[in-house]
Parts: sequence; structure tokens; C-alpha cells
Amino acid sequence: MTTNHKMIARDVSVFYGDKKAIDSVSIDVDMENVTAFIGPSGCGKSTFLRTLNRMNDTISIARVEGTIELDGEDIYASGMDVVQLRARVGMVFQKPNPFPKSIYENVAYGPRIHGLAAGKPEMDQVVEKSLRRAGLWDEVKDRLQDSGTALSGGQQQRLCIARAIAVDPEVILMDEPCSALDPIATAKIEELIHELRGRYAIVIVTHNMQQAARVSQRTAFFHLGTLVEYGETSEIFTNPRQEKTKDYITGRYG
Amino acid sequence: MTELAAMTPVPTAPKRIPTDWKSDLMQRRIRKRYASERRFRFIGLAAVSLSVAFLAFLLITMIGNGARGFTQTDIRLPVNFAQTSLMLDPTALTGPNAEAALAAANIQGATEEAAVAAFGPDGADYISDGAWLSVRAAIRKDPAILGKTVDIAVPASTHIDIAAKNGADPEIRAAYQKLEATGRLSTGFNLNFLTGSNSNDPTLVGIWGAFKGSLLTMIVTLLLAFPIGVLAALYLEEYAPRNRWTDLIEVSINNLAAVPSIIFGLLGLAVFLNVMHLPRSAALVGGLTLALMTMPVIVIAGRNAIKSVPPSIRDAALGIGASPVQVVFHHVLPLALPGILTGTIIGMARALGETAPLLMIGMRAFIPAPPAGITDPATVLPVQIYLWADEVSRGFVEKTSAAIIVLLVFLLSMNGLAIYLRNKFEQRW
Repeated sequence: MTTNHKMIARDVSVFYGDKKAIDSVSIDVDMENVTAFIGPSGCGKSTFLRTLNRMNDTISIARVEGTIELDGEDIYASGMDVVQLRARVGMVFQKPNPFPKSIYENVAYGPRIHGLAAGKPEMDQVVEKSLRRAGLWDEVKDRLQDSGTALSGGQQQRLCIARAIAVDPEVILMDEPCSALDPIATAKIEELIHELRGRYAIVIVTHNMQQAARVSQRTAFFHLGTLVEYGETSEIFTNPRQEKTKDYITGRYG
Repeated sequence: MTELAAMTPVPTAPKRIPTDWKSDLMQRRIRKRYASERRFRFIGLAAVSLSVAFLAFLLITMIGNGARGFTQTDIRLPVNFAQTSLMLDPTALTGPNAEAALAAANIQGATEEAAVAAFGPDGADYISDGAWLSVRAAIRKDPAILGKTVDIAVPASTHIDIAAKNGADPEIRAAYQKLEATGRLSTGFNLNFLTGSNSNDPTLVGIWGAFKGSLLTMIVTLLLAFPIGVLAALYLEEYAPRNRWTDLIEVSINNLAAVPSIIFGLLGLAVFLNVMHLPRSAALVGGLTLALMTMPVIVIAGRNAIKSVPPSIRDAALGIGASPVQVVFHHVLPLALPGILTGTIIGMARALGETAPLLMIGMRAFIPAPPAGITDPATVLPVQIYLWADEVSRGFVEKTSAAIIVLLVFLLSMNGLAIYLRNKFEQRW
């Protein structure tokens, strides 16, 4: 296995009770590439994404088999600290979910609980840096004490990205981050993903194929809980090897 | 072929008959709809008016009766200490044995003599049985009055007090008018009612003892039921695995909330008094018993409030690496607190108005002094109301209503505080 793979998943299966939701998926996530997961609704792409930072642990009937490594370390090993894992593998959700607190508090919360900033001046810096990276600083710098929930949907989602960035993660998982946003806000998020690429390994789940084509370098196509095809985005969209992939991206079903 | 095709009738869609929105049937349906709308509105309004009328009736009768309970008729009793049989040396009252000297002197007899001297043979019936307490206080304040003739304001007897408030039989009214003519009667605010405790004589009773008992009991209840209830709700909602045991616990808690309160009184009697030997009729035991009763209410309300916190907030916090405890205490609890406080208000209001379980643990005793602490014998407002309502003397009627007013004011201020706290903590998302 080559060393530039940030995360390596091998033969990962997920069960909800007796139902198998994911069947033996193997995928590598790179530092320099944005990886997109596409596929029809219910194909398991979000479920698989949530195994990468063990968010499925919160569902009591969910069970994961196979191995997932972060920097060569098995994240499902018994010695793994889930809290630290989630700080290293951040997540942005489908619906913007800022805390009902001030903009400043939203961003500062992560660094505070992980002790990443000593003192107020340092915290101010972390907050500013995170908001700048999320492209939100200029819009909110004069009203950091306003409630995060008072922002528009697109701004809320960028606030959530800033919140994820603030704890300095290595991987950022995005679960359909634009599905609740209008086209202008979507464009801003996509632009942001471009800028964040390289600094963080980014995995994005989307049901919008154009979006996958625009933002990602590598694309994985899921169907009915299996990984059908995984490769260069340009390859998948122009020259898919599998018939199913071709049918999906040409809009035959999904 | 073409001929055949021409002969086959082209299948046409059945002709659409436009709905006649103006037909009689339609009109009738519309009228019926409006009528049912009006009927529903009328019934709703009638229900609201009825409850408002009941409430108004309750408040008007309570305040009408109770307001008189806050006033007391006093008689300025002329006491000529030189002529009474009181054997008391003013110099004895400055020394260290002052209290003993006061206790030994027959002040009660002297007061009655003074009343007879001033108002005729029935004089002693005009003043309260406790009138001598005012005389004693006057002597204690200024021993120099011994040997002089002074006017001392003493509470009038119940009969005179009621007559002063327009509600006595003719015989007593005559006596009242005679007294009135002397210009020695005055009706004023009854401070003793707010500062005193229970007594056999309605002119001397006070509500402070029961009020303080209620306050101490509520503090014990809140300190126990709130933290235990909230922690139980948090554990059941956030941590407990979903299995048969948690189902069983849930059912038990729901049943517990519906158990008649007297059962809790029996439980308190058996456990706190008979097994643990805690002091009888104390605020501590009352608070413990009421906490048992309040806890299920707080747990149920707390669980509902915690359930209504959107899961996206939990995801958000977990997603940046908050531990489960941090998620609960930084996010879930603050957002659920308004709902939890609402449940606590309901539970505490119920506990404050509770009588039955407290009777079981002996809080119906005659307590003539306010409790100094939670282990002292005490009574509470509803029990005090119950006891006074049972009294024979007519003077207790207005005192009972006055006590009800005090209880309602206590309840309202407690709820007001809780609503203030709830609004303060309320956050929108």
C-alpha cells in the first residue's frame, strides 16, 4: 500500500441489524484529491461515509466489518479513541446545523474542548483563520456575537465548514453539503472545496453528478450497497467501464 | 385498410361535465360548513367563558372573604395599673429576673379586670383571649407604666371583630355599637397574621409558621427531585440501552406519576419515619415524601424535552469530536432546560398544594411556633388551611380564606420565577 493514501478501507461491510447496507467496499482516500461518492438514493454512500469517522456508532443496531485505516492505524481497533478520531476526521452534514450560539462560539467550540488554543487572543486567531478559510470572514467579521442560526442557509453551511476546520482535521467528510442550498450558495461551497483541496483530504457525497464532475478528482459509484466503480473522475464520466455506471451517469435510472 | 380504419370509431374521452358550483346541493353544503364552523366557535367560547367564570368566582369569594382576614379590630383598653390586682414591682423588671417576674404576675387577670372596669360586666368578652399578651408586651417595653393609667391597644374578641366587619347577630352588634360609641375601636392591618403562627384563638393566628414550613419543604423537595429527576431523564434518553429493562423502568415511572398521593404518604411513613427514624412532622420528611411524588413528573417532562432537541445538534457536536458527556452538558441539556423547567413547575406546584401525604407523616400537628430548621416540627400551607377550615370558631372562616390567598400568592410567585428562568434560558435554533 502506498503511503500517500490518507485513509484505506478494505472489505468494509455495514449491517443494520440483519440487513446488510454495505457489502464489502474497498476504497482509498488521498490527501491531494477530492473524492466524490455518487449513486442513487439509498445506495449506501452516506452510510459508508459515516463509517469513516465512526458516526455510525451512534446507531445502536449498526455493525461494521472489515478494516478502515487512518495513516495506517485501524480506526475500529479497540484502542482507538473515537473522540479524537472525529477531531481528526471532521464532518459537514447535509442540513446546515450550527449550534444555537454565537458565530464566534460555533467556531471556538471545537478548539476549546480539545484545548487547541490557549487564551483569548489565540482563540481569536483560530476563529479568524477558520472563518477566512471557509470564506465567511468578510461577511461576519462585524457580527461575530450574532447567533449562528440567524445566517442564511449558505452562510450557515460555510460556518459549519469553518467549525470543522477549526479543530484542524486531516480529513473532511461532507455529506451532501449543498442539497439544502440554492445555486449561488452551492457555487460558493464548491469554490471553497477547491481551495481546501490539498490541505485536507476531502470526501464528498453528492447526488448531483455535475457537482461530482466539477469538484472531484476521483469518483466512486455506489449501487445497492456495493461499490460498482472507482477511478479518476474524468474516466468515470467519459469512459465508464461498467454498464451500470454508464446507465446511471447518462440518466437511465437513479 | 384505410377504409377499415375510417370505419372504426375513434375512441373519444368521456365528455367532461363541469362541476356546478352554484347548485342547490353545493349551496347547502356551504351553509352546513359555515354553520358547523360557527357552532364549533360558540362551543369553544362557551367552554372558555365557563372556566373564566369559575376562576372569577373563586377569586372574588376568596379575596372577598380573605381580605377581611388580613385586618383585625383593636380596642384601646384603658388600664389603670394602680387599681388592678397586679402585683408587680417596676424595679423587678429591670433586673435579670425580669422574665420570671413577668411570668409569675397575673397579667391575664389584670387585663380582664381592666376590661370589666372599662366596658361593664361583659367587658372581658370584648377583648381577645390573648389580649394580655399585648399588655405584657407593653409592660416589658416600658415598666414605668405600672402605677399609671395608660391606653393599650389589644385585639378585640372574635365576636367584636366579626361585628366590626358587619357580620354578627343582633346581641353582639349592640355590644359592638356600644364599644364603637366609646371611640376606642379601630380596625387596621393585621401584621400578626403575617408574622405569627397557629393558635387556638382566631384573633391571634398567623400564617408565617405554615408559610415557612411550606418554604422549607419545597426547598428539600426541589433539591432532591430536580437533580435526581434531570439526571435520570438524561441517562434514560442519552445513555440507557433500549431493552426490556429500560422499557420496564419507563412503564414504572409513568405509573409512579399516576399513583395517588396518599400512597406516597404511606410510603414516607413506612420508610422515613418507621425505618429511618427521621423526626416526625418535620419539613425534611415532608420534602422527602413530596420529592418521591415530584420526581416522576420531572423525569417524564425532562425526557420529552430532551427528545425534542434536534438530533442534528448532537451530530454536529459529535462530528467535531465532542465526547458524549460534552454533547449532553454543552448542547442537549441547555436546549432542553426550558422544557425541563416547565415540568418542574408543574411538579412543584402539585407538591405545594399537596395535603394528603403530609397528613400521613404527621404534619397536621398543632405547631404554635415557626420551624427553625428542616428537622423542626412544621406544618404547611394547605394543611394549615385544612386545619383552620375544620375549626368551629367563626373567626377562622376569614383566616382560612386569607391563608388560601397566601398560598395562591406563593404559588404564583414560584411559577413566575420559574417562567422567568425558562425565558432566560430559552434559545432558538
